[in-house]
Amino acid sequence: MRRLCNTYKSFLKAGIQSGMAYRVNFICFFIGESLYCIVMYFIWKAVFMSSGNGNFMGFNMVDITLYVFLSNLVGFLTSTDSTSSLALEIKDGSIIMRMIKPVNLNLSLLAFELGDKVMVITCTFIPVMIGVEIYRYITLGYIAFNIINFLLFIISVIFSYLIAFYLNLLFGYLAFFLMNIWGFNMLKGSLIKFFSGAIIPIAFFPEKIRVVFEQLPFASLVYTPTMVYMGKYSNNELLFVFAKQIVWLIVFILICRMVWYLAQKRLSSQGG
Amino acid sequence: MIKVQNVSKEFKKVVKESGLKGSVKSLFSRKYDIVKAVNDISFTVAKGEILGFIGANGAGKSTTIKMLTGILTPTKGEIEINGQIPYKNRKKYVREIGVVFGQRTQLWWDLPLTETFTVLKEIYQVDDARFKKQMDFFNEVLELKDFVKSPVRTLSLGQRMRADLAASMLHSPKVLFLDEPTIGLDVVVKSNIREAITKINQEEQTTIILTTHDLKDIETLCKRIIMIDKGTLIYDGSLLDMKNKFGKFREINLSLQNNSDINMLRFKEDLNLNSDDFQIKSNKEKITVIFNSQKIGVSDMLSYILTHTNIADISVNDVNIEEIVRRMYK
Repeated sequence: MRRLCNTYKSFLKAGIQSGMAYRVNFICFFIGESLYCIVMYFIWKAVFMSSGNGNFMGFNMVDITLYVFLSNLVGFLTSTDSTSSLALEIKDGSIIMRMIKPVNLNLSLLAFELGDKVMVITCTFIPVMIGVEIYRYITLGYIAFNIINFLLFIISVIFSYLIAFYLNLLFGYLAFFLMNIWGFNMLKGSLIKFFSGAIIPIAFFPEKIRVVFEQLPFASLVYTPTMVYMGKYSNNELLFVFAKQIVWLIVFILICRMVWYLAQKRLSSQGG
Repeated sequence: MIKVQNVSKEFKKVVKESGLKGSVKSLFSRKYDIVKAVNDISFTVAKGEILGFIGANGAGKSTTIKMLTGILTPTKGEIEINGQIPYKNRKKYVREIGVVFGQRTQLWWDLPLTETFTVLKEIYQVDDARFKKQMDFFNEVLELKDFVKSPVRTLSLGQRMRADLAASMLHSPKVLFLDEPTIGLDVVVKSNIREAITKINQEEQTTIILTTHDLKDIETLCKRIIMIDKGTLIYDGSLLDMKNKFGKFREINLSLQNNSDINMLRFKEDLNLNSDDFQIKSNKEKITVIFNSQKIGVSDMLSYILTHTNIADISVNDVNIEEIVRRMYK
């Protein structure tokens, strides 16, 4: 076990250094995401102003502001390149360089990506969290920060990252069968954005649709952790949403293993 | 050490009809062709042997290597290496082998070279003392010192290849697979790499299987060669035997005082040689005559040339294997 950890720790470290290599990339990304949040904030503000009583489906203006910034933060924290990095390796055949090493393909990708994200995570997570709490303090007049919700939020985000990773990996494996997955990747992107509550909180959908959406794996990606932080769940609901996250994670890990096994069978030689 | 028995590999290939119409058509119904990349190959390799694989592009060399390294599963036949079956339990098997694909790299693109070695050290669980010893050895034979701190993406192709070779050797594998290890390198680096391969082979008794298009590699490294053409094995034996078997060709290089003298050499008419048995290549400075020494002796050939032309310089050589290979493909 210890040896196993050491093996993947080295991938993690390599990832961290690799992540540091492209700093400007990150700064541009951060500016872009911030602009997006601000636009979303003003759109929702307009919605709430026109609704009259300042309360909409159990959300008030403070809630929705929190939701916009948090859901974007969660979406960012759990964003993963596993689809494209795997698909690219499959397409150009460099996956064979991974196969000649005594490592688990999925875990090595995961460890490297985690390392790659360490810097950007710290650079966004802390300022956004502080910003959100300052906003809440100013508008509400008291400190609304809840340490238990915060810790549960962290756990939930870790689960949703892992679910996102394996879900995306699954799309990456499609490259074995399709060779070019650009179209699928676009489709996946839109599906996740819509069903995960990254654009519109799932709570805003009509009851029947909402119930269905909440059971889908996508809800576990953004909606669940955000709502956990906002303290919108009762204790029983909390148990239920965490159970859902774990179940989906296990399901995706198993499917990934199966697909990898099948893919190896039909691997054809790329480039000579 | 390595046993390969009746191994074949087939690929399904989509047949696309030409043009836009064909492309649209293939969206709905696809035709497949079965391509036999490797067809019923058998051979064995002993411990410490260096085996050279040669063959034209697309002959099936790389596919064979990929099957040997456990990346591809053979359609038919059996492979056993170090008592293990490569494509079963891949993770365990690859611990004992090293692989270099000349056209790819196993180094971390964005990181300094040392980092790759650190990662590999962890992956293969090489202990510190062993690691240091190996690195010293690599520094000596591959001269990594100069660029070990630079990011891999800034390395030249020659440096990268040397580093790749070192990376594949860090865990002292029992078998080393080198797929075109000298591709695209200049003469100096090539000979550098060859020397390193020889040293590695001697020092650690590593079994080495290498494919190449550079026949100089074969001549300096391999005592035994396997030649593959269109997926089938067409020759397995020593380099010397091959030279004997496929025509005892000799090569005479000469330069003439008067270049027009070349027209005086009429092998066909004067010596009754078939056009298969000789060949004349010439450029401004040098004329090369290749001929079958079983049809006409070297001394006869020399005296014929000497009597018919005025020579500035002359030398007789063994024909290089490129020529043999070229003739075999025909």
